[in-house]
Amino acid sequence: MVVKDTFGRWETERQLWLALRQGDEQAFTFIFEKYHRTLYNYGCKLTTHTAVTEDAIQDIFIDIWRLRANLTENISSIKFYLYRTLRRRIHQTLDKYPATEEISDITDPEIMPFSFSDSQTMLIESESNLLRAQRIKELLAQLPERQLEAITLRYFDEFSIAEIGQIMGVNEKSVRNFLYKALTAFRQTQNVIINFLLIICSLSNF
Amino acid sequence: MKYTPYSLTDLIRLDAFVAWVLNPDADSEAYWKGFLEQYPEKAATVESAREYIYLLAEDTGKNRPTEAQSSKMWKVVEDSMYVEEQPVLEEEKPAKHTWQWIRAAASVTLICGIGALSFWYFIRPQNVITRSEEPAVMKEQSLTKVTNDADRPRFVLLPDGSSVVLEPGSWLSFREMPAGQKREVTLSGKGFFEIVKDPSRPFLVYSRGIVTKVLGTSFSVDAREKSGEVKVEVKTGKVTVFSVGSDNASETEVNKAEKKGFILYPDQKIALAPGSGKVLKPIAPAVVAQNQYDIASQLFVFDETPVGEVFKSLEEAYNVKINCSVEALKKCPLTATLVGQPFSKKLAVICNAIDATYEIDGDQVRITGNGCR
Repeated sequence: MVVKDTFGRWETERQLWLALRQGDEQAFTFIFEKYHRTLYNYGCKLTTHTAVTEDAIQDIFIDIWRLRANLTENISSIKFYLYRTLRRRIHQTLDKYPATEEISDITDPEIMPFSFSDSQTMLIESESNLLRAQRIKELLAQLPERQLEAITLRYFDEFSIAEIGQIMGVNEKSVRNFLYKALTAFRQTQNVIINFLLIICSLSNF
Repeated sequence: MKYTPYSLTDLIRLDAFVAWVLNPDADSEAYWKGFLEQYPEKAATVESAREYIYLLAEDTGKNRPTEAQSSKMWKVVEDSMYVEEQPVLEEEKPAKHTWQWIRAAASVTLICGIGALSFWYFIRPQNVITRSEEPAVMKEQSLTKVTNDADRPRFVLLPDGSSVVLEPGSWLSFREMPAGQKREVTLSGKGFFEIVKDPSRPFLVYSRGIVTKVLGTSFSVDAREKSGEVKVEVKTGKVTVFSVGSDNASETEVNKAEKKGFILYPDQKIALAPGSGKVLKPIAPAVVAQNQYDIASQLFVFDETPVGEVFKSLEEAYNVKINCSVEALKKCPLTATLVGQPFSKKLAVICNAIDATYEIDGDQVRITGNGCR
């Protein structure tokens, strides 16, 4: 089960970063190859325009190579650095050039699809994996952007709450709030589905 | 821990639980095993929470780039590495390096046109002179102006190695492009541009107060519109379109182009009013139009093709004459894909493969060599 993060022939992340800073092309290629796919995945959560994501990824790697000698020596995590830079770059692009056709798509991150309440309804634990997968899919499809972003960073990219806070530029409490709301929305959605099923059942009893 | 076993959502959110599910180690394994022994009734909840975490991870990780996207991104990044480090083509002997340089030469296709204006110039050539006396165009002595009075497209080599296929009735003016200075051309009519990529120096095309700035790698712009619009279309890559009051944009204007202009991404188009830059048609998906002279849409793919035939297809596409006196050279087989680089770089690739050299003089090209092995 344990998947160790590997850094090719550089063995440690620190050595890989050092090699990059010293202009090792192979180290640079390795970093691109290792991270660009998950970066792309993350970028797709920030904008629906894949070209924006592609360009942003290109730009940050071009900058990294160009400015390699000036990169900070001590880096906690290459992946974290890349994600934070990518987010900044994509948001710069989106802020600068709000595409007109996108306006209708903009959703207020604070508006929840279902109103928040402290419902005690629990997820159904015994349902089949297929049903679960379906539910997750529906849930994620309707989440506000920032909640989906937080969920992605947490469960797919496996960042810590603190790291997510720094990537997204919010405090840890907000991150937990995003995650909480996202999962609560899930609970609420489920509620609606159950109610719907109950109504169907009661109707069919007549 | 003693009295509050977690609910399902609690578990899904619990850092220690997530860490165990996604990256179990001996410690977490022991801890959660102990937890389950203590609360055996929680087994189903734990299993369910695990499953949900896997599902969340799986579902949020599905937006992967295709292989084509990956290699496209890498190509752009790689291009920028070699633009910086290997600026001189002639110094490179090994084929590998040539290819790297070639990759650095992004194919940039610009078709800018002003139908009505170019027609006017075409039928009344004396007006060309009047036009060229405008201060913005004539303010430097090194200005070169190429007018195509013929009825066929004309090949123009720019000082930076970029090339233009100029449509009949069009003219193009440009200054020397010394290193470190921005590259600018003024176009009237319609031209097909292939631009050598240089991230440090934007390439600007001026046409009736509308400026098209090349930012990224390969793209294509079609700005010809009889109705007096300047229309820009992008196929791949990224360009910025903005308007200026004169035929020249200040440094600030160029640098701030992205702020005040319109940035276009693949398969997008925009139509602007000449001069004012007023949006006539907002950014919309572009319908790919095939054009006879659209070199970007032509594939120069050769598989063991005699070089003589390769030259022939280039001659037709660029309307140049390639002179090769050595018959042995023409028979050399060439396997190459020449897409996305300016004419001169295409020649460089071919000559490198057949151990020959080339010289471009206007629309005449001379190939010299001894023939391949």
